[in-house]
Amino acid sequence: MKRLIQFATVLAILGMGVAGPAGAEDTEAVYKFYCAQCHGLTGKGDGPNVSKDFPVSPRNFTNAKEMDKLTDADMKNVILDGGPAASKSPMMPPWSKTLSEADVVGLIKHIRKLCACKGKQG
Amino acid sequence: MRLTLSIILGMAISVMATADGRADPAAGKKVFDDKKCTECHYTDGPAKEKTIADQLAKKGPELWYAGSKFQKKWLGKWLKDPKPIRAMAYNSMTEKNKGDHPKMSGGDAKAVTEFLMTLTSDAVKAGVIKPKKSAKGRLVFTKKMPCSGCHLFPAKKRAKFKGGLSGPSLVGARKRLNPDWIFAYLMTPEVFKPVKSMPVFVGFLKEKEMKNVAAYVANFK
Repeated sequence: MKRLIQFATVLAILGMGVAGPAGAEDTEAVYKFYCAQCHGLTGKGDGPNVSKDFPVSPRNFTNAKEMDKLTDADMKNVILDGGPAASKSPMMPPWSKTLSEADVVGLIKHIRKLCACKGKQG
Repeated sequence: MRLTLSIILGMAISVMATADGRADPAAGKKVFDDKKCTECHYTDGPAKEKTIADQLAKKGPELWYAGSKFQKKWLGKWLKDPKPIRAMAYNSMTEKNKGDHPKMSGGDAKAVTEFLMTLTSDAVKAGVIKPKKSAKGRLVFTKKMPCSGCHLFPAKKRAKFKGGLSGPSLVGARKRLNPDWIFAYLMTPEVFKPVKSMPVFVGFLKEKEMKNVAAYVANFK
């Protein structure tokens, strides 16, 4: 019995070790692969597409004051259906046919880390 | 005697065919392998990438459907004198493209072109898209969808915004890309690039809109 408990404990620790860092890394990889093109690697809205003549200013995710005005549902809506879904620019594409539900949930968490804000509770 | 003559004649024709420039795909594949092009490009389809990590591990674009994607004349010229197609280095958000793709001699470029043009995809149907100045295509490209946000395009001279940099440039698409491939790529992106930074527009654009935008892009000077 003691051996079984030890075995279970080891399995649990291993499981935590794998699930934690791998999940976090995946979310960041998703952000960097899709969003950083316009929003920048650190979320300042300064991705490689954003020249001085870019027609809009992609949202700066590190601006906690602005990001706090949005609920997580607002963010999800725009990620899935694009800028026009929130009367914003079509330069923000709809990602619902590209990203999985888990990707979107992960992205919202990652963006909340970038702004260090919880957002409007709704 | 007759057999020997036939063999000699056959060999002579074969040598002439090579000498006058009709390089054969097998010779092109040998050049491709000898020059280690395979270190950056894979040529055996279907698409292998399943995760972002798979895509990021690649050093250059997959070429297993090069014969469906590119125009032969352009490809031959480009291999001799490669000019950057992407502003950014492949798979990078921070590094500029150094424009250091190896150049090939005329003979090698011709042979490799013959080889690459044999690599095709059944997902590309011929004769569907004719390049044209499509006002409807332009509307999708510049207004309805954010294509211009990531791709350079031949904007009007006075226009300040000429497109984004994260995707390949579409300037000169008229000479570079097969119009039918552009349409097939929009309709069935998962066949060509299952993991890519460009959104999937299937479901957001109707087939007719995709045809219009493909015709519009295929006409880019």
